[in-house]
Amino acid sequence: MRTLVKVLISLFMFLLAVFIVGPLVWLASRAFAAEWRYPDLWPTGFTLRWWRVVVDDPMVVVALQNSATFASLTVLISAAICLPAAYAFSRYQFPGRRFMLVALFAVNAFPKMGLFVALASLFYALQLMQTVLGVLIVHVLGTVVFMTWIPAAAFSAVPRSLEEAARDAGAGPFRVFWSVTLPMALPAILVAAIMSFIASWDEAQGTYLVGAPDYMTMPTQMYSLVLNYPSQVSAVFSILLSVPSAGLLLLVRKQIMGGQLAEGFQIK
Amino acid sequence: MSSDPDAGAPVAGAVDDDAPAAAPTSAAATGTLTNPRRVRHRARVRSLRGLLMASPPLLLIAAFTGFPIVLAIAYSLGHTGGLNSTTALIAQHQHVKTEWWGTLGAYREVLTNERFQRDLRVTLLVTVVSTTVVLALALIIALYLRLAGGWAAKALTVVSVVPMFIPVVIASWAVLMFYAPDGFLRSLFAQVGLEGPTFGYTVTAIIIAQVWCSLPFAVLMCASGVQAVPDALIDAARDSGAGLVRTTFSVILPMAFVPIVIAATFTAIGIIGSFTVPYFTGPTAPTMLGVDMANYFTAYNRPQQSIVMAVVVFVAASLIAVTYVWANFRSSKESGA
Repeated sequence: MRTLVKVLISLFMFLLAVFIVGPLVWLASRAFAAEWRYPDLWPTGFTLRWWRVVVDDPMVVVALQNSATFASLTVLISAAICLPAAYAFSRYQFPGRRFMLVALFAVNAFPKMGLFVALASLFYALQLMQTVLGVLIVHVLGTVVFMTWIPAAAFSAVPRSLEEAARDAGAGPFRVFWSVTLPMALPAILVAAIMSFIASWDEAQGTYLVGAPDYMTMPTQMYSLVLNYPSQVSAVFSILLSVPSAGLLLLVRKQIMGGQLAEGFQIK
Repeated sequence: MSSDPDAGAPVAGAVDDDAPAAAPTSAAATGTLTNPRRVRHRARVRSLRGLLMASPPLLLIAAFTGFPIVLAIAYSLGHTGGLNSTTALIAQHQHVKTEWWGTLGAYREVLTNERFQRDLRVTLLVTVVSTTVVLALALIIALYLRLAGGWAAKALTVVSVVPMFIPVVIASWAVLMFYAPDGFLRSLFAQVGLEGPTFGYTVTAIIIAQVWCSLPFAVLMCASGVQAVPDALIDAARDSGAGLVRTTFSVILPMAFVPIVIAATFTAIGIIGSFTVPYFTGPTAPTMLGVDMANYFTAYNRPQQSIVMAVVVFVAASLIAVTYVWANFRSSKESGA
């Protein structure tokens, strides 16, 4: 019985690993493959020429610039709008607080494509289609929940006794916030900022609807890329697109695995 | 804010010093606390300040989620004037209002459309099946991590969170290639002379890719919930003779109920409105409503029909959202907040 359970668990782990990692390895190895004939499990040879093809393409450079610009601006705008709100939700009691917390959730509760279609109709009227502002609005909307809820949970987690201690020692409210509350909440704010950056970096459907064809980002280029280029080119492109997300998330993996993301998704 | 009299006082070393924290009320605060009118005034100022600080994201959402949705619903009922006139100008097969409140023409057209009915069924099927599979996998991983622990369980959790690091566009593409006619699965079968199944461009591929993309969030939520169940409770259940299965179903899962519901609702809502995954991995027909909405809006130039579909998906999603809000309020009440 014991051994049977062990075998079953090992089998489950193996299958899950193949299920998750398999597609990534299969795709990534294509970026270095000369040619790959079915049903071989191995390419005919290895080459770097697909990287040349991608790197030399001016379209990629433009998409990369667009993606980086949109993502950075999105994080800054979102932080400016949401962080004060996060603090308020955590520390102040005011009428309608509960309602507002639930209303914030509304953005996530609405199915993305439906929301974008509704938004696009409004953007036509306001002439925001194919504009930087229009794309930015779409991106910021996708980050509001991260930027409000995760920092709010972190502000709430700062022990009141520490803040009171600082106040007793004569620190004013700004000083208390700046030297006690903020440093303790900073890791979670970093998690929120990185999640927002990635949300913007990965956003494809809304950007495509609102920004294409004038403002193509990396993920929206992927839509047309897979149709028009050999699979090795899209494999190279996939690696280029995944590296920034993966790198940034690795920075905060401890906080995310430790439950700060999960903590942020529970209304308190 | 700077009206506070102690602002700017020297505070060297204040944070590190634990001693003042033990005192229940500070000397500085006592003066203000004794005056009831001032206390009430300060409470009102704080409440107003909180409201002001909290409103910017709410205004953003009101302007760019609430308002467009109201506008879109009005348009779906045939109100083609005002801000809807730009969209209405280029739209084809439009139903214009016949009564003061509008018309149900667009709804009648879409809801009786066989293609819509078929794709709605596919959308619901994919949502239910994917959410169930994701939740089952996430719970198995979370429970294994909680009850067995060790490096193997940790490794399993890390592997299941990997998809979070990969953009959805890439994930969909990777899954498609893996299960394509010339993909890994079929290549593997071919090595031993078997004809493997082709999942690429099928509804099965959509479900596989949805599970792949949704797993990390569900695992994190479930693991965090299951991890929070105190050891003492599990030990007590085991001591009084409950087996592993009994302990799981009567102690651990009920205690982790809220995070599990949150995981389920976010997963289901994410899937029901998805576009990228079915666009890449699924067949041209039948497909999920997210793809239909985009096609009707841009390719077929029929925004009204597209919005009717969006409304149908909104209604389905809000039913899911209600469970989420209910679970959260239930938990707040229990913790006495």
